[in-house]
Amino acid sequence: MVQIVISSAGAGGLAEWVLMELQGEIEARHSTGLAGNLLGDLHYTTEGIPVLIVGHHILYGKIIHLEKPFAVLVKYTPGEQDCDELGCESSTRYLVTALIKNKILFKTRPKPIITNVPKKV
Amino acid sequence: MERTRAEVDATLQTAKLDAAELLPAAHCLRFGPAAAGDVCLLELEPALCGRLQAGHSLVIRGDKDEQAVLCSEDKTYDLKVADTSNMLLFIPGCKIPEQLKMEETHSNIIHTEYTTGDLLDQIQASEEEIMTQLQVLNACEIGGYWRILEFDYEMKLLNHITQLVDSESWSFSKVPLNTCLQELGPLEPEEMIEHCLRCYGKKYTEEGEVYFELSADKICRATAQMLLQNAVKFNLAEFQEVWQQSVPEGMTTRLDQLQGLALVDRQSRPEIIFLLKVEDLPEGDQERFSSLFSLREKWTEEDIAPYIQDLCGEKQTVGALLTKYARSSMRNGVKVYNSRRPIS
Repeated sequence: MVQIVISSAGAGGLAEWVLMELQGEIEARHSTGLAGNLLGDLHYTTEGIPVLIVGHHILYGKIIHLEKPFAVLVKYTPGEQDCDELGCESSTRYLVTALIKNKILFKTRPKPIITNVPKKV
Repeated sequence: MERTRAEVDATLQTAKLDAAELLPAAHCLRFGPAAAGDVCLLELEPALCGRLQAGHSLVIRGDKDEQAVLCSEDKTYDLKVADTSNMLLFIPGCKIPEQLKMEETHSNIIHTEYTTGDLLDQIQASEEEIMTQLQVLNACEIGGYWRILEFDYEMKLLNHITQLVDSESWSFSKVPLNTCLQELGPLEPEEMIEHCLRCYGKKYTEEGEVYFELSADKICRATAQMLLQNAVKFNLAEFQEVWQQSVPEGMTTRLDQLQGLALVDRQSRPEIIFLLKVEDLPEGDQERFSSLFSLREKWTEEDIAPYIQDLCGEKQTVGALLTKYARSSMRNGVKVYNSRRPIS
């Protein structure tokens, strides 16, 4: 029987994250990859519509309140340092890092931004 | 390099978006560093979420040939997998419009911090059907955080709390956290309620329950700030009356609670009081004194001390600073300080 425990960070309360869902993929402009790079600016209209500016595109989306929230689980596989004289605990665990109760969904085609003169800041 | 508000506005302009149609807070999203581990999303009924929030664990069980199930302390759920070809991104600390409108963040730009993330598996748990299969989706994590709450919103939270204390006839030194969250949860986000309790009180545990001891000094001080920030100056006597009536019953207001926040002018007729926050004054020693002396020509040590206290360090006491930057004289038998240099 396999048992995988999903444990919570504690009664102190879990952080709440937001999920953003995009169609397609985001590619890095340079071959160095995405890590550490700016993605874009996220705004909301006064009506509450999310607007994402990514590179040369604008996307309009909507906020969806999730009836069934998500728990974000991070897999934890104990390594050598967790072994004691009785042997290693080989079981995998998941730690609940955060809860997601809202998601921002972008599913319309991105609109390209046509620029004439770049503004100097 | 962090994006500045000016850069965000420039991008809005390039994109031909009208800032007037947008909420003032913008999130600048940034990808976190490369993968630090496997990440999964588990879709849960609200009740199961509640269990996790309370600190309980869940267990996935199954023999290798069996379908896996998810167990809480008293219930078993079938596990189902869902997948999507869409890209899923996590944004810790991101706010949705509802929350932004309620919070009114002090700053109008929200920067991101680095977090981790790479692969995303998604598992769905529900009471319904069957089937298990794991699938991998691509995802990147993005970090975020939010800034100091605007004062007006903090006062609103505080008012909710003090009104609840009053209606429940609690003692200010024993305010139960859970009841606050229960009663005020429908009105304001729970994290905000708890944040407010932490700002204005001290947390302690008694018989397994969490309580807060609220500080009368801090609450009276915040109430004074709220009253004073709406006017240039107040008649002192009138202010003291309104102030005492505005604080929760049982709390006593005292002028010494307002050190570094407000200044009383006892030379004017009638005596007045006005808002003067030490945080708003220049940080440099000479500039601080220049600004204080241009506000008022002569200061007693008692009045000026709260406004130069933060300049003191290991080597400088209030007395040393006064000797360096001021000149003393006597006025009606009381020692007063004025500027060494002429104030323009």
